[in-house]
Amino acid sequence: MNEQVEQGVPPESQRLSRDALMHQVRQIGQVFLALVAIYAVFYALSEPFRNVNTLFTIMTQASILAILACGTTVVLISGGLDLSVGSIFAVVGVVVGIMLINFELPVWLAIVIGLATGAFCGFLNGMVQVFSGVPAFIVTLGGLTAYKGIAELLGSGQDLSRFPDSFRMLGTGFVMPISIMFASALIIGIFLRMTRLGNHAYAIGGNEEVARLSGVAVARSRVIYYTIGGFMAATAAIVEVSKLNFAQSSRGQSYELFAIAAVVIGGTSLFGGRGGVGKTIIGMMIMQTIIVGLAYLGVGTSVQRIAIGVIIILAVFLDMRNRPKR
Amino acid sequence: MSHDVPVCKIMMNNARSEPGHVFEALGVTKRFGGVVAVDNVDLRLKTGEVLAVVGDNGAGKSTLIKAITGALSRDEGQLYFDGQAVQIDSPTAAKSAGIETVYQDLALVNELTVTKNIFLGREIVRDDFLGRVFGFLDFRRMDNEVRALFGKLNIRITDIYREAEAFSGGQRQAVALSKTVMFGKRVAILDEPTAALGVRESQMAMDLVTSLKDHGLSVIMITHNMQHVLHYCDRVMVLRLGRHIATRNVSEVDGDSLVALITGANEPQAAQA
Repeated sequence: MNEQVEQGVPPESQRLSRDALMHQVRQIGQVFLALVAIYAVFYALSEPFRNVNTLFTIMTQASILAILACGTTVVLISGGLDLSVGSIFAVVGVVVGIMLINFELPVWLAIVIGLATGAFCGFLNGMVQVFSGVPAFIVTLGGLTAYKGIAELLGSGQDLSRFPDSFRMLGTGFVMPISIMFASALIIGIFLRMTRLGNHAYAIGGNEEVARLSGVAVARSRVIYYTIGGFMAATAAIVEVSKLNFAQSSRGQSYELFAIAAVVIGGTSLFGGRGGVGKTIIGMMIMQTIIVGLAYLGVGTSVQRIAIGVIIILAVFLDMRNRPKR
Repeated sequence: MSHDVPVCKIMMNNARSEPGHVFEALGVTKRFGGVVAVDNVDLRLKTGEVLAVVGDNGAGKSTLIKAITGALSRDEGQLYFDGQAVQIDSPTAAKSAGIETVYQDLALVNELTVTKNIFLGREIVRDDFLGRVFGFLDFRRMDNEVRALFGKLNIRITDIYREAEAFSGGQRQAVALSKTVMFGKRVAILDEPTAALGVRESQMAMDLVTSLKDHGLSVIMITHNMQHVLHYCDRVMVLRLGRHIATRNVSEVDGDSLVALITGANEPQAAQA
Protein backbone atom coordinates (compact mmCIF):
# COMPACT_ATOMS: atom_id res chain seq x y z
CA MET A 1 0.00 0.00 0.00
CA ASN A 2 0.99 3.57 -0.47
CA GLU A 3 3.27 4.68 2.31
CA GLN A 4 2.62 8.32 1.58
CA VAL A 5 -0.98 8.34 2.74
CA GLU A 6 -1.53 11.55 4.64
CA GLN A 7 2.08 12.20 5.27
CA GLY A 8 2.75 14.38 8.27
CA VAL A 9 -0.35 13.44 10.18
CA PRO A 10 1.16 11.03 12.71
CA PRO A 11 3.40 13.60 14.48
CA GLU A 12 0.38 15.89 14.80
CA SER A 13 -2.01 13.23 15.99
CA GLN A 14 -1.63 14.01 19.66
CA ARG A 15 -2.18 17.66 19.05
CA LEU A 16 -5.22 16.99 16.87
CA SER A 17 -6.78 14.78 19.49
CA ARG A 18 -6.39 17.41 22.14
CA ASP A 19 -7.74 19.97 19.71
CA ALA A 20 -10.90 17.96 19.15
CA LEU A 21 -11.47 17.70 22.88
CA MET A 22 -10.65 21.36 23.41
CA HIS A 23 -13.09 22.26 20.67
CA GLN A 24 -15.91 20.69 22.66
CA VAL A 25 -14.78 22.29 25.91
CA ARG A 26 -14.35 25.65 24.24
CA GLN A 27 -17.81 25.56 22.74
CA ILE A 28 -19.64 24.93 25.99
CA GLY A 29 -17.12 27.10 27.84
CA GLN A 30 -17.92 30.04 25.59
CA VAL A 31 -21.60 29.95 26.41
CA PHE A 32 -20.86 29.48 30.06
CA LEU A 33 -18.49 32.45 30.03
CA ALA A 34 -21.19 34.51 28.35
CA LEU A 35 -23.55 33.58 31.18
CA VAL A 36 -20.95 34.51 33.82
CA ALA A 37 -20.22 37.79 32.07
CA ILE A 38 -23.89 38.74 31.82
CA TYR A 39 -24.38 37.78 35.44
CA ALA A 40 -21.38 39.87 36.44
CA VAL A 41 -22.79 42.93 34.69
CA PHE A 42 -26.05 42.69 36.61
CA TYR A 43 -24.09 41.91 39.77
CA ALA A 44 -22.33 45.23 39.40
CA LEU A 45 -25.44 47.20 38.46
CA SER A 46 -28.06 45.79 40.75
CA GLU A 47 -28.03 45.42 44.53
CA PRO A 48 -30.38 42.38 44.75
CA PHE A 49 -28.15 40.38 42.35
CA ARG A 50 -25.53 40.19 45.08
CA ASN A 51 -27.88 38.01 47.11
CA VAL A 52 -27.38 34.31 46.39
CA ASN A 53 -31.14 33.81 46.50
CA THR A 54 -31.38 35.66 43.22
CA LEU A 55 -29.36 32.92 41.56
CA PHE A 56 -31.80 30.34 42.86
CA THR A 57 -34.75 32.46 41.77
CA ILE A 58 -33.33 32.64 38.27
CA MET A 59 -32.69 28.92 38.17
CA THR A 60 -36.18 28.17 39.43
CA GLN A 61 -37.72 30.47 36.86
CA ALA A 62 -35.58 28.93 34.17
CA SER A 63 -36.35 25.37 35.25
CA ILE A 64 -39.80 24.86 33.73
CA LEU A 65 -38.84 26.19 30.31
CA ALA A 66 -35.48 24.42 30.54
CA ILE A 67 -37.18 21.05 31.10
CA LEU A 68 -39.31 21.65 28.02
CA ALA A 69 -36.28 22.86 26.08
CA CYS A 70 -34.45 19.57 26.75
CA GLY A 71 -36.98 17.92 24.43
CA THR A 72 -36.70 20.76 21.93
CA THR A 73 -32.94 20.19 21.86
CA VAL A 74 -33.37 16.58 20.77
CA VAL A 75 -35.84 17.55 18.03
CA LEU A 76 -33.65 20.38 16.71
CA ILE A 77 -30.48 18.24 16.72
CA SER A 78 -32.31 15.69 14.56
CA GLY A 79 -33.06 18.46 12.07
CA GLY A 80 -36.72 18.68 13.11
CA LEU A 81 -38.81 21.47 14.54
CA ASP A 82 -41.72 21.35 16.98
CA LEU A 83 -43.82 24.49 17.33
CA SER A 84 -46.61 22.67 19.15
CA VAL A 85 -44.92 21.90 22.48
CA GLY A 86 -46.39 25.02 24.12
CA SER A 87 -49.87 23.76 23.28
CA ILE A 88 -49.01 20.21 24.35
CA PHE A 89 -47.93 21.85 27.61
CA ALA A 90 -51.44 23.37 27.93
CA VAL A 91 -53.19 20.06 27.15
CA VAL A 92 -51.14 18.18 29.72
CA GLY A 93 -51.72 20.84 32.39
CA VAL A 94 -55.49 20.63 31.90
CA VAL A 95 -55.50 16.82 31.73
CA VAL A 96 -53.53 16.51 34.97
CA GLY A 97 -55.83 19.07 36.61
CA ILE A 98 -58.92 17.13 35.53
CA MET A 99 -57.43 13.86 36.74
CA LEU A 100 -56.62 15.32 40.15
CA ILE A 101 -59.73 17.46 40.74
CA ASN A 102 -62.60 15.92 38.75
CA PHE A 103 -61.58 12.27 38.96
CA GLU A 104 -59.69 12.54 42.23
CA LEU A 105 -57.12 10.08 40.96
CA PRO A 106 -54.02 9.35 43.01
CA VAL A 107 -51.21 11.82 42.32
CA TRP A 108 -48.87 9.26 40.74
CA LEU A 109 -51.56 8.08 38.34
CA ALA A 110 -52.45 11.64 37.32
CA ILE A 111 -48.77 12.27 36.61
CA VAL A 112 -48.44 9.09 34.56
CA ILE A 113 -51.53 9.98 32.54
CA GLY A 114 -50.19 13.51 32.01
CA LEU A 115 -46.80 12.25 30.80
CA ALA A 116 -48.46 9.71 28.52
CA THR A 117 -50.72 12.42 27.07
CA GLY A 118 -47.73 14.63 26.25
CA ALA A 119 -45.77 11.75 24.76
CA PHE A 120 -48.77 10.77 22.65
CA CYS A 121 -49.19 14.30 21.31
CA GLY A 122 -45.51 14.34 20.31
CA PHE A 123 -45.88 10.89 18.80
CA LEU A 124 -48.79 12.16 16.67
CA ASN A 125 -46.67 15.09 15.46
CA GLY A 126 -43.99 12.67 14.34
CA MET A 127 -46.35 10.16 12.74
CA VAL A 128 -48.26 12.78 10.75
CA GLN A 129 -44.99 14.20 9.44
CA VAL A 130 -43.40 10.91 8.55
CA PHE A 131 -46.46 9.53 6.78
CA SER A 132 -47.76 12.69 5.12
CA GLY A 133 -44.40 14.15 4.15
CA VAL A 134 -45.68 17.60 5.10
CA PRO A 135 -42.80 19.69 6.52
CA ALA A 136 -42.29 19.80 10.28
CA PHE A 137 -42.95 23.52 10.37
CA ILE A 138 -46.46 23.10 8.94
CA VAL A 139 -47.41 19.95 10.84
CA THR A 140 -46.40 21.37 14.20
CA LEU A 141 -47.88 24.76 13.36
CA GLY A 142 -51.13 22.87 12.86
CA GLY A 143 -50.44 21.08 16.14
CA LEU A 144 -49.91 24.45 17.84
CA THR A 145 -53.50 25.52 17.18
CA ALA A 146 -55.10 22.07 17.28
CA TYR A 147 -53.67 21.10 20.67
CA LYS A 148 -54.55 24.55 21.95
CA GLY A 149 -58.13 23.92 20.90
CA ILE A 150 -58.14 20.55 22.64
CA ALA A 151 -56.83 22.16 25.83
CA GLU A 152 -59.63 24.75 25.66
CA LEU A 153 -62.31 22.12 25.03
CA LEU A 154 -61.12 20.07 27.97
CA GLY A 155 -60.52 22.95 30.34
CA SER A 156 -63.32 25.38 29.60
CA GLY A 157 -65.49 26.42 32.52
CA GLN A 158 -63.64 24.32 35.01
CA ASP A 159 -61.93 25.36 38.20
CA LEU A 160 -58.83 23.19 38.22
CA SER A 161 -57.00 24.36 41.32
CA ARG A 162 -56.09 23.58 44.94
CA PHE A 163 -54.25 20.34 44.37
CA PRO A 164 -53.24 17.82 47.03
CA ASP A 165 -50.06 18.63 48.96
CA SER A 166 -48.20 15.62 47.66
CA PHE A 167 -48.65 17.00 44.12
CA ARG A 168 -47.77 20.57 45.12
CA MET A 169 -44.40 19.33 46.35
CA LEU A 170 -43.14 18.94 42.76
CA GLY A 171 -43.13 22.59 41.80
CA THR A 172 -42.92 24.48 45.08
CA GLY A 173 -39.72 26.07 46.30
CA PHE A 174 -36.27 25.87 44.74
CA VAL A 175 -35.19 22.32 45.25
CA MET A 176 -37.68 20.21 43.30
CA PRO A 177 -37.93 22.29 40.09
CA ILE A 178 -34.16 22.73 39.90
CA SER A 179 -33.56 19.04 40.61
CA ILE A 180 -36.07 17.99 37.94
CA MET A 181 -34.35 20.35 35.50
CA PHE A 182 -30.92 18.85 36.13
CA ALA A 183 -32.27 15.31 36.12
CA SER A 184 -33.97 15.96 32.76
CA ALA A 185 -30.79 17.42 31.32
CA LEU A 186 -28.74 14.51 32.63
CA ILE A 187 -31.05 11.85 31.23
CA ILE A 188 -31.46 13.54 27.84
CA GLY A 189 -27.71 14.24 27.74
CA ILE A 190 -26.89 10.59 28.36
CA PHE A 191 -29.47 9.59 25.76
CA LEU A 192 -27.93 11.87 23.14
CA ARG A 193 -24.29 11.03 23.81
CA MET A 194 -24.31 7.40 24.84
CA THR A 195 -27.11 5.58 23.06
CA ARG A 196 -27.54 4.44 19.49
CA LEU A 197 -30.82 6.30 19.05
CA GLY A 198 -29.31 9.49 20.47
CA ASN A 199 -26.37 9.30 18.09
CA HIS A 200 -28.74 8.81 15.21
CA ALA A 201 -30.31 12.18 16.05
CA TYR A 202 -26.98 13.83 15.17
CA ALA A 203 -26.63 11.71 12.04
CA ILE A 204 -30.15 12.44 10.77
CA GLY A 205 -29.82 16.13 11.57
CA GLY A 206 -26.40 16.23 9.94
CA ASN A 207 -27.33 14.48 6.69
CA GLU A 208 -30.60 12.61 6.51
CA GLU A 209 -29.83 10.94 3.18
CA VAL A 210 -26.47 9.58 4.32
CA ALA A 211 -28.15 8.29 7.46
CA ARG A 212 -30.86 6.57 5.41
CA LEU A 213 -28.34 4.99 3.03
CA SER A 214 -26.32 3.84 6.03
CA GLY A 215 -29.28 1.86 7.27
CA VAL A 216 -30.55 4.22 9.98
CA ALA A 217 -34.31 3.87 10.51
CA VAL A 218 -34.89 7.57 9.88
CA ALA A 219 -38.69 7.70 10.06
CA ARG A 220 -38.95 5.59 13.21
CA SER A 221 -36.20 7.59 14.93
CA ARG A 222 -37.86 10.88 14.08
CA VAL A 223 -41.14 9.75 15.59
CA ILE A 224 -39.30 8.87 18.79
CA TYR A 225 -37.59 12.28 18.94
CA TYR A 226 -40.95 14.06 18.66
CA THR A 227 -42.35 11.72 21.31
CA ILE A 228 -39.50 12.74 23.62
CA GLY A 229 -40.30 16.39 22.84
CA GLY A 230 -43.90 15.85 23.90
CA PHE A 231 -42.86 13.93 26.99
CA MET A 232 -40.55 16.73 28.14
CA ALA A 233 -43.29 19.32 27.50
CA ALA A 234 -45.53 17.19 29.74
CA THR A 235 -42.89 17.04 32.47
CA ALA A 236 -42.54 20.83 32.37
CA ALA A 237 -46.33 21.26 32.46
CA ILE A 238 -46.67 19.07 35.54
CA VAL A 239 -44.02 21.08 37.39
CA GLU A 240 -45.73 24.36 36.46
CA VAL A 241 -49.24 23.23 37.35
CA SER A 242 -47.89 22.07 40.69
CA LYS A 243 -46.09 25.36 41.26
CA LEU A 244 -49.06 27.58 40.30
CA ASN A 245 -51.61 25.36 42.06
CA PHE A 246 -54.00 25.76 39.15
CA ALA A 247 -54.29 24.50 35.57
CA GLN A 248 -55.51 26.60 32.65
CA SER A 249 -55.64 26.08 28.92
CA SER A 250 -54.00 29.48 28.41
CA ARG A 251 -50.70 28.34 29.93
CA GLY A 252 -47.75 27.46 27.76
CA GLN A 253 -48.33 30.23 25.25
CA SER A 254 -45.12 30.93 23.25
CA TYR A 255 -43.17 28.45 25.38
CA GLU A 256 -42.03 26.68 22.20
CA LEU A 257 -40.44 29.92 21.01
CA PHE A 258 -38.67 30.56 24.32
CA ALA A 259 -37.42 26.98 24.26
CA ILE A 260 -36.10 27.29 20.70
CA ALA A 261 -34.48 30.61 21.68
CA ALA A 262 -32.72 29.01 24.65
CA VAL A 263 -31.54 26.06 22.55
CA VAL A 264 -30.12 28.42 19.95
CA ILE A 265 -28.54 30.80 22.47
CA GLY A 266 -26.87 27.75 23.99
CA GLY A 267 -25.29 26.98 20.63
CA THR A 268 -27.26 24.02 19.31
CA SER A 269 -27.64 24.34 15.57
CA LEU A 270 -31.09 25.22 14.25
CA PHE A 271 -30.16 23.24 11.16
CA GLY A 272 -29.47 20.02 13.03
CA GLY A 273 -26.49 17.77 13.61
CA ARG A 274 -24.82 19.73 16.41
CA GLY A 275 -25.49 20.73 19.95
CA GLY A 276 -26.24 19.39 23.36
CA VAL A 277 -28.56 19.67 26.27
CA GLY A 278 -26.02 21.20 28.66
CA LYS A 279 -25.76 24.16 26.33
CA THR A 280 -29.53 24.49 26.36
CA ILE A 281 -29.62 24.75 30.15
CA ILE A 282 -26.97 27.47 30.02
CA GLY A 283 -28.87 29.17 27.19
CA MET A 284 -32.04 29.21 29.27
CA MET A 285 -30.08 30.59 32.24
CA ILE A 286 -28.74 33.39 30.06
CA MET A 287 -32.26 34.30 28.96
CA GLN A 288 -33.66 34.26 32.48
CA THR A 289 -30.70 36.21 33.88
CA ILE A 290 -31.35 38.94 31.34
CA ILE A 291 -35.08 38.97 32.02
CA VAL A 292 -34.70 39.03 35.80
CA GLY A 293 -31.75 41.44 35.67
CA LEU A 294 -33.54 43.93 33.46
CA ALA A 295 -36.61 43.66 35.68
CA TYR A 296 -34.50 44.49 38.74
CA LEU A 297 -33.12 47.49 36.89
CA GLY A 298 -36.66 48.68 36.31
CA VAL A 299 -36.73 47.90 32.59
CA GLY A 300 -40.17 46.92 31.35
CA THR A 301 -41.15 43.64 29.70
CA SER A 302 -41.32 45.22 26.26
CA VAL A 303 -37.65 46.18 26.35
CA GLN A 304 -36.81 42.74 27.80
CA ARG A 305 -38.41 41.17 24.75
CA ILE A 306 -36.40 43.38 22.42
CA ALA A 307 -33.21 42.36 24.23
CA ILE A 308 -34.04 38.65 23.94
CA GLY A 309 -34.84 39.08 20.25
CA VAL A 310 -31.48 40.70 19.57
CA ILE A 311 -29.66 37.98 21.53
CA ILE A 312 -31.33 35.19 19.53
CA ILE A 313 -30.12 36.70 16.27
CA LEU A 314 -26.67 37.32 17.73
CA ALA A 315 -26.44 33.72 18.94
CA VAL A 316 -27.24 32.27 15.51
CA PHE A 317 -24.86 34.75 13.89
CA LEU A 318 -22.01 33.63 16.16
CA ASP A 319 -22.92 29.98 15.61
CA MET A 320 -22.73 30.38 11.84
CA ARG A 321 -19.44 32.27 12.01
CA ASN A 322 -17.77 29.72 14.28
CA ARG A 323 -18.79 26.75 12.15
CA PRO A 324 -15.96 25.08 10.26
CA LYS A 325 -16.14 25.69 6.52
CA ARG A 326 -17.41 22.80 4.45
CA MET B 1 -47.84 -0.03 -26.47
CA SER B 2 -49.52 -2.92 -24.85
CA HIS B 3 -46.82 -5.55 -25.46
CA ASP B 4 -44.01 -3.55 -23.90
CA VAL B 5 -44.21 -5.31 -20.60
CA PRO B 6 -44.23 -8.93 -21.89
CA VAL B 7 -41.29 -8.14 -24.19
CA CYS B 8 -39.32 -6.87 -21.22
CA LYS B 9 -40.09 -9.98 -19.23
CA ILE B 10 -38.90 -12.24 -22.03
CA MET B 11 -35.68 -10.24 -22.34
CA MET B 12 -35.11 -10.44 -18.64
CA ASN B 13 -35.63 -14.19 -18.63
CA ASN B 14 -33.15 -14.56 -21.45
CA ALA B 15 -30.30 -13.44 -19.23
CA ARG B 16 -29.26 -16.33 -17.04
CA SER B 17 -26.88 -16.51 -14.14
CA GLU B 18 -23.45 -17.77 -15.21
CA PRO B 19 -20.88 -19.55 -13.05
CA GLY B 20 -17.69 -17.75 -11.96
CA HIS B 21 -19.49 -14.60 -10.95
CA VAL B 22 -19.78 -13.48 -7.36
CA PHE B 23 -22.60 -11.08 -8.15
CA GLU B 24 -24.96 -10.52 -11.05
CA ALA B 25 -27.69 -7.98 -11.68
CA LEU B 26 -29.66 -9.10 -14.72
CA GLY B 27 -32.30 -7.30 -16.71
CA VAL B 28 -32.18 -4.19 -14.53
CA THR B 29 -34.62 -1.51 -15.67
CA LYS B 30 -35.39 1.76 -13.95
CA ARG B 31 -37.88 4.29 -15.29
CA PHE B 32 -38.52 7.81 -14.07
CA GLY B 33 -42.00 8.52 -15.37
CA GLY B 34 -41.70 8.12 -19.14
CA VAL B 35 -37.90 8.23 -19.12
CA VAL B 36 -36.08 4.89 -19.14
CA ALA B 37 -32.91 5.76 -17.21
CA VAL B 38 -31.61 2.19 -17.14
CA ASP B 39 -32.83 -0.14 -19.87
CA ASN B 40 -32.56 -3.90 -19.34
CA VAL B 41 -28.91 -3.84 -18.26
CA ASP B 42 -27.00 -6.99 -17.30
CA LEU B 43 -24.10 -6.49 -14.92
CA ARG B 44 -21.83 -9.41 -14.10
CA LEU B 45 -19.07 -9.15 -11.51
CA LYS B 46 -16.35 -11.81 -11.40
CA THR B 47 -14.91 -12.90 -8.11
CA GLY B 48 -11.97 -10.73 -7.05
CA GLU B 49 -12.04 -8.25 -9.92
CA VAL B 50 -12.38 -4.50 -10.18
CA LEU B 51 -15.10 -3.77 -12.74
CA ALA B 52 -15.24 -0.22 -14.05
CA VAL B 53 -18.59 1.20 -15.10
CA VAL B 54 -18.12 4.04 -17.56
CA GLY B 55 -20.37 6.21 -19.67
CA ASP B 56 -21.13 9.82 -20.46
CA ASN B 57 -23.23 12.00 -18.19
CA GLY B 58 -26.77 10.67 -18.20
CA ALA B 59 -25.69 7.19 -19.29
CA GLY B 60 -27.40 5.77 -16.21
CA LYS B 61 -24.35 4.73 -14.18
CA SER B 62 -25.44 6.13 -10.83
CA THR B 63 -29.04 5.09 -11.40
CA LEU B 64 -27.93 1.54 -12.15
CA ILE B 65 -25.90 1.44 -8.94
CA LYS B 66 -28.75 2.85 -6.88
CA ALA B 67 -31.20 0.39 -8.41
CA ILE B 68 -28.86 -2.47 -7.50
CA THR B 69 -28.26 -1.35 -3.92
CA GLY B 70 -31.87 -0.70 -3.04
CA ALA B 71 -31.41 3.07 -2.76
CA LEU B 72 -33.90 3.33 -5.65
CA SER B 73 -36.64 0.82 -6.35
CA ARG B 74 -36.15 -1.25 -9.52
CA ASP B 75 -38.84 -1.65 -12.14
CA GLU B 76 -37.28 -4.86 -13.44
CA GLY B 77 -34.27 -6.95 -12.61
CA GLN B 78 -33.07 -9.90 -10.60
CA LEU B 79 -29.94 -10.07 -8.45
CA TYR B 80 -27.80 -13.15 -7.87
CA PHE B 81 -25.02 -13.99 -5.43
CA ASP B 82 -23.01 -17.01 -6.60
CA GLY B 83 -25.85 -17.89 -8.93
CA GLN B 84 -28.43 -17.81 -6.15
CA ALA B 85 -31.27 -15.32 -6.60
CA VAL B 86 -31.42 -12.77 -3.79
CA GLN B 87 -34.03 -10.19 -2.87
CA ILE B 88 -32.61 -6.70 -2.28
CA ASP B 89 -35.08 -3.85 -1.95
CA SER B 90 -33.44 -1.51 0.56
CA PRO B 91 -29.95 -0.27 1.46
CA THR B 92 -30.16 -2.36 4.61
CA ALA B 93 -30.99 -5.51 2.64
CA ALA B 94 -28.04 -4.83 0.32
CA LYS B 95 -25.72 -4.48 3.31
CA SER B 96 -26.86 -7.68 4.92
CA ALA B 97 -26.42 -9.47 1.59
CA GLY B 98 -22.78 -8.32 1.64
CA ILE B 99 -22.84 -5.30 -0.67
CA GLU B 100 -21.18 -2.16 0.71
CA THR B 101 -21.66 1.06 -1.25
CA VAL B 102 -19.79 4.35 -1.18
CA TYR B 103 -22.03 6.97 -2.76
CA GLN B 104 -20.59 10.08 -4.27
CA ASP B 105 -21.18 13.06 -1.90
CA LEU B 106 -23.27 10.84 0.36
CA ALA B 107 -20.58 8.88 2.11
CA LEU B 108 -20.09 10.66 5.42
CA VAL B 109 -22.02 12.83 7.87
CA ASN B 110 -19.85 15.91 8.44
CA GLU B 111 -20.98 16.36 12.02
CA LEU B 112 -20.05 12.86 13.18
CA THR B 113 -16.63 11.63 14.27
CA VAL B 114 -14.68 9.16 12.15
CA THR B 115 -15.67 6.23 14.35
CA LYS B 116 -19.34 7.18 14.41
CA ASN B 117 -19.33 7.58 10.64
CA ILE B 118 -17.82 4.18 10.03
CA PHE B 119 -20.28 2.48 12.37
CA LEU B 120 -23.30 4.59 11.40
CA GLY B 121 -26.33 2.31 11.23
CA ARG B 122 -24.30 -0.64 12.56
CA GLU B 123 -23.14 0.59 15.93
CA ILE B 124 -21.82 -1.87 18.46
CA VAL B 125 -23.83 -1.74 21.66
CA ARG B 126 -22.50 -2.64 25.07
CA ASP B 127 -22.64 -6.28 25.99
CA ASP B 128 -24.67 -5.69 29.12
CA PHE B 129 -28.12 -4.67 30.31
CA LEU B 130 -27.64 -1.02 29.30
CA GLY B 131 -26.56 -2.02 25.83
CA ARG B 132 -29.25 -4.57 25.17
CA VAL B 133 -32.17 -2.61 26.62
CA PHE B 134 -31.25 1.03 26.02
CA GLY B 135 -28.79 0.73 23.15
CA PHE B 136 -25.80 2.14 25.05
CA LEU B 137 -22.86 2.20 22.66
CA ASP B 138 -19.55 0.47 23.18
CA PHE B 139 -17.31 3.34 22.09
CA ARG B 140 -14.09 1.71 23.22
CA ARG B 141 -14.70 -1.37 21.11
CA MET B 142 -15.71 0.65 18.06
CA ASP B 143 -12.64 2.89 18.40
CA ASN B 144 -10.39 -0.15 18.69
CA GLU B 145 -11.91 -1.76 15.61
CA VAL B 146 -11.44 1.43 13.62
CA ARG B 147 -7.79 1.67 14.71
CA ALA B 148 -7.23 -1.95 13.74
CA LEU B 149 -8.93 -1.35 10.38
CA PHE B 150 -6.85 1.74 9.63
CA GLY B 151 -3.73 -0.17 10.59
CA LYS B 152 -4.66 -2.99 8.22
CA LEU B 153 -5.34 -0.58 5.35
CA ASN B 154 -2.38 1.66 6.16
CA ILE B 155 -4.66 4.67 6.58
CA ARG B 156 -2.89 7.18 8.75
CA ILE B 157 -5.76 8.90 10.46
CA THR B 158 -5.16 8.71 14.17
CA ASP B 159 -7.60 11.32 15.34
CA ILE B 160 -10.73 9.24 15.06
CA TYR B 161 -12.56 11.43 17.60
CA ARG B 162 -12.63 14.34 15.23
CA GLU B 163 -15.64 15.22 13.10
CA ALA B 164 -15.47 14.17 9.45
CA GLU B 165 -15.67 17.75 8.20
CA ALA B 166 -12.23 18.46 9.69
CA PHE B 167 -10.52 16.15 7.20
CA SER B 168 -9.28 16.63 3.66
CA GLY B 169 -11.08 15.13 0.67
CA GLY B 170 -8.56 12.32 0.44
CA GLN B 171 -8.84 11.46 4.10
CA ARG B 172 -12.62 11.50 3.91
CA GLN B 173 -12.55 9.17 0.93
CA ALA B 174 -10.16 6.87 2.79
CA VAL B 175 -12.61 6.74 5.70
CA ALA B 176 -15.51 6.01 3.36
CA LEU B 177 -13.60 3.30 1.51
CA SER B 178 -12.50 1.69 4.76
CA LYS B 179 -16.16 1.09 5.55
CA THR B 180 -16.34 -1.36 2.67
CA VAL B 181 -13.58 -3.46 4.23
CA MET B 182 -15.12 -3.24 7.70
CA PHE B 183 -18.54 -4.42 6.58
CA GLY B 184 -18.48 -5.46 2.92
CA LYS B 185 -18.52 -9.21 2.98
CA ARG B 186 -18.53 -9.71 -0.79
CA VAL B 187 -18.97 -6.67 -3.00
CA ALA B 188 -17.90 -3.03 -2.79
CA ILE B 189 -19.67 -0.54 -5.05
CA LEU B 190 -17.94 2.82 -5.45
CA ASP B 191 -19.52 5.81 -7.15
CA GLU B 192 -16.70 7.99 -8.49
CA PRO B 193 -14.31 7.53 -5.57
CA THR B 194 -11.92 10.16 -6.94
CA ALA B 195 -14.44 12.73 -8.14
CA ALA B 196 -13.49 15.57 -5.80
CA LEU B 197 -9.83 14.68 -5.31
CA GLY B 198 -6.56 16.15 -6.53
CA VAL B 199 -4.03 14.10 -8.49
CA ARG B 200 -2.02 12.82 -5.54
CA GLU B 201 -5.09 12.10 -3.44
CA SER B 202 -6.73 10.31 -6.39
CA GLN B 203 -3.75 8.03 -6.66
CA MET B 204 -3.91 7.18 -2.96
CA ALA B 205 -7.62 6.50 -3.19
CA MET B 206 -7.12 4.23 -6.20
CA ASP B 207 -4.36 2.32 -4.41
CA LEU B 208 -6.83 1.81 -1.61
CA VAL B 209 -9.47 0.65 -4.10
CA THR B 210 -7.18 -1.99 -5.61
CA SER B 211 -6.18 -3.13 -2.11
CA LEU B 212 -9.84 -3.93 -1.45
CA LYS B 213 -9.25 -7.03 -3.59
CA ASP B 214 -6.71 -8.24 -1.04
CA HIS B 215 -9.44 -8.10 1.56
CA GLY B 216 -11.72 -10.44 -0.31
CA LEU B 217 -13.88 -7.88 -2.02
CA SER B 218 -14.97 -7.72 -5.61
CA VAL B 219 -15.34 -4.12 -6.72
CA ILE B 220 -17.72 -2.25 -9.01
CA MET B 221 -16.49 1.27 -9.62
CA ILE B 222 -18.11 4.11 -11.52
CA THR B 223 -15.52 6.46 -12.93
CA HIS B 224 -14.99 9.16 -15.51
CA ASN B 225 -11.24 8.76 -15.46
CA MET B 226 -9.99 6.60 -18.34
CA GLN B 227 -6.49 6.49 -16.86
CA HIS B 228 -7.91 4.90 -13.73
CA VAL B 229 -9.81 2.34 -15.81
CA LEU B 230 -6.68 1.34 -17.72
CA HIS B 231 -4.38 1.31 -14.69
CA TYR B 232 -6.44 -0.09 -11.89
CA CYS B 233 -9.39 -2.07 -13.30
CA ASP B 234 -9.72 -5.59 -14.68
CA ARG B 235 -12.78 -5.18 -16.88
CA VAL B 236 -14.81 -2.24 -18.06
CA MET B 237 -18.53 -2.02 -18.72
CA VAL B 238 -19.80 0.77 -20.98
CA LEU B 239 -23.24 2.33 -20.68
CA ARG B 240 -24.81 4.76 -23.11
CA LEU B 241 -28.24 6.37 -22.70
CA GLY B 242 -29.28 3.75 -20.18
CA ARG B 243 -28.21 0.78 -22.33
CA HIS B 244 -25.42 -1.71 -21.86
CA ILE B 245 -23.11 -1.20 -24.86
CA ALA B 246 -20.19 -3.51 -24.13
CA THR B 247 -18.11 -5.16 -21.45
CA ARG B 248 -14.42 -5.66 -22.28
CA ASN B 249 -11.28 -6.82 -20.59
CA VAL B 250 -9.13 -3.79 -19.90
CA SER B 251 -6.24 -5.51 -21.70
CA GLU B 252 -8.30 -5.43 -24.92
CA VAL B 253 -8.99 -1.69 -24.94
CA ASP B 254 -7.14 1.60 -24.96
CA GLY B 255 -8.23 5.13 -24.21
CA ASP B 256 -9.41 5.84 -27.77
CA SER B 257 -11.46 2.68 -28.17
CA LEU B 258 -13.08 3.28 -24.77
CA VAL B 259 -14.03 6.83 -25.69
CA ALA B 260 -15.42 5.52 -28.98
CA LEU B 261 -17.57 3.02 -27.09
CA ILE B 262 -18.77 5.69 -24.66
CA THR B 263 -19.70 8.22 -27.32
CA GLY B 264 -20.82 5.72 -29.96
CA ALA B 265 -18.45 7.27 -32.52
CA ASN B 266 -17.84 3.96 -34.33
CA GLU B 267 -21.44 2.89 -34.48
CA PRO B 268 -23.49 5.30 -36.56
CA GLN B 269 -26.26 2.72 -36.88
CA ALA B 270 -26.55 2.45 -33.10
CA ALA B 271 -26.92 6.21 -32.84
CA GLN B 272 -29.88 6.10 -35.20
CA ALA B 273 -31.64 3.30 -33.37
